[in-house]
Amino acid sequence: MTTQAGVSPRPEILEQIRAAQRRSRLSFRLWFALTWIGLVGGLVFTLWATGNIDLSFIAEWGPFILGGAGITILLCVTSIVFATILAVFGAIARLSANPVINGVASLYVSLVRGTPLIVQIIFVFLALPQLDIRIPAIPAGILALSFNYGAYMTEIFRAGIQAVPRGQREAAEALGMPEHLIMRRIVLPQAVRIVIPAIGNDFVAMIKDSALVSVIAVQELLWRAQNVGRQNFRSLEALLIAALVYWVLTIVFSFFQERLERRMARSDR
Amino acid sequence: MNTTRRLAILPIAALVLAACQNGGTGASPADGNGDGNGNGTVDISNVVCVGEATTYLDWLNGDFEPDEPDPIEEPSDTSGDLLETIRDRGTIIVSTDPNYAPQSFLQPDGTFVGFDIDVATEIAERLGVEIQFETPDWDLITAGSWAERWDISVGSMTITTPRKEVLSFTQPYYFTPAALAASERSGVTSVDQLPFELPDGAEATTLPTDANCAEAIQAGREEFDLWVSAGPTIDDAINRGIPVTKVSDAIYVENLAVAIDKSGPPHDALLYEIDRIIGEMHEDGTLTELSEEWFDGEDLTQDPDE
Repeated sequence: MTTQAGVSPRPEILEQIRAAQRRSRLSFRLWFALTWIGLVGGLVFTLWATGNIDLSFIAEWGPFILGGAGITILLCVTSIVFATILAVFGAIARLSANPVINGVASLYVSLVRGTPLIVQIIFVFLALPQLDIRIPAIPAGILALSFNYGAYMTEIFRAGIQAVPRGQREAAEALGMPEHLIMRRIVLPQAVRIVIPAIGNDFVAMIKDSALVSVIAVQELLWRAQNVGRQNFRSLEALLIAALVYWVLTIVFSFFQERLERRMARSDR
Repeated sequence: MNTTRRLAILPIAALVLAACQNGGTGASPADGNGDGNGNGTVDISNVVCVGEATTYLDWLNGDFEPDEPDPIEEPSDTSGDLLETIRDRGTIIVSTDPNYAPQSFLQPDGTFVGFDIDVATEIAERLGVEIQFETPDWDLITAGSWAERWDISVGSMTITTPRKEVLSFTQPYYFTPAALAASERSGVTSVDQLPFELPDGAEATTLPTDANCAEAIQAGREEFDLWVSAGPTIDDAINRGIPVTKVSDAIYVENLAVAIDKSGPPHDALLYEIDRIIGEMHEDGTLTELSEEWFDGEDLTQDPDE
């Protein structure tokens, strides 16, 4: 018996294969979700079962600690904006043929990436006043975070600019476009599209790093949790609340970042 | 700089911990490692916990230099004085350490309450200005160089000779007895049971602020079993169910006053004015009333040396 070449398999078999795939995907998702629910539920139950969790404390102080999330987000949103501006100029300078401009930008990146963020934060708050530069706590935190992330993002932007195909620049040059316009109209818009997912990534990382700003008495999430916990001798509950809020914040922002990433990838197809 | 110093404590604390683990094991009495404790003493870690920027550490080291405020005279020229700045601003900014119940602690709505808070509020009221609180770490307050971030400290600060080099002090607004507490775990109930002569031979674990010591004992940490702090702070910890016992009466008395940063703008007029207000509050009974309200009916505003 010969089968005809080029004839597709019988549709009901194809349908069966698809259904099996769907089932396997569904069962994967189900088990994945159950694992998470089981683990988190188990953790919560274990904590509750120890009898050391004071629910009335959580009800009383939870809102105050949660209020710190607003300051955390304010810090991060403001800092990411300033850091992005710094990074654009930093990246252009890093790619500059002028040795002085290039040197300044490289020194900035090296200095910032070579010192701990917590040192930079404390430096802005405690060391600068000795030079008569007095910055209140929240702006000091924003300055340190922007300065720090600006350096890391300079490298992201530099890579982004370099990833724009050379032909784009050459085509603009051939049309007689001046150098600064090529950067602004041709290269940067394409580079931004490339780096946006990485910036989103940095934003999520910054949410966690912003906890370091608690050392200069900015009343953000961690400061509130630590002080409330210490004063009431309930650090377990207070720090759990803070950790949970950080976690939820990063999950929420990662979700948006992932969607953005998918959107950005769409035009690459 | 001070915070960096504070961070430097961690390795020291670790060393102390290692040292005391060599010396003896926690609460188990006389396990035969030849420590040579006398009869009736309890084998505990020879380590005392103190707040890092407090005077208790100096006292343990034998360096405690209690002092009196310098005489305060009414200045003839008040132009450019911090007092003027505060009156123009309409607000006085006061530093407070909200880890210091019942002197200063947080409320769920984010405001502060306590004895120091009430005293500061009363001072602001008598100055005719609004009050605003800042919450820097305690070691930043005692170190001076406030960078004009806040105007005064109403934070139960003991007047000492080294502090007088960087801060100006008013007359004391109250006096607290420093006391010694021991964890219940240690079994120590009296200062006579201690295996060493205080203050000699005591090693100190320093944590950023007093409340950290109580917190560590409550958490079951075993780095130390003794804690030097202000009497009312120990009483407050006991009231909150922290497993500690007060094992001594006053080991000394602290003069607690309002402080102003000497590295800031001229403040002679402000110092004079606040000193005058405190004198007034002593005389009209306001301070006594507040003390009785916050310290279980005790009047701590009378100088025990007089």
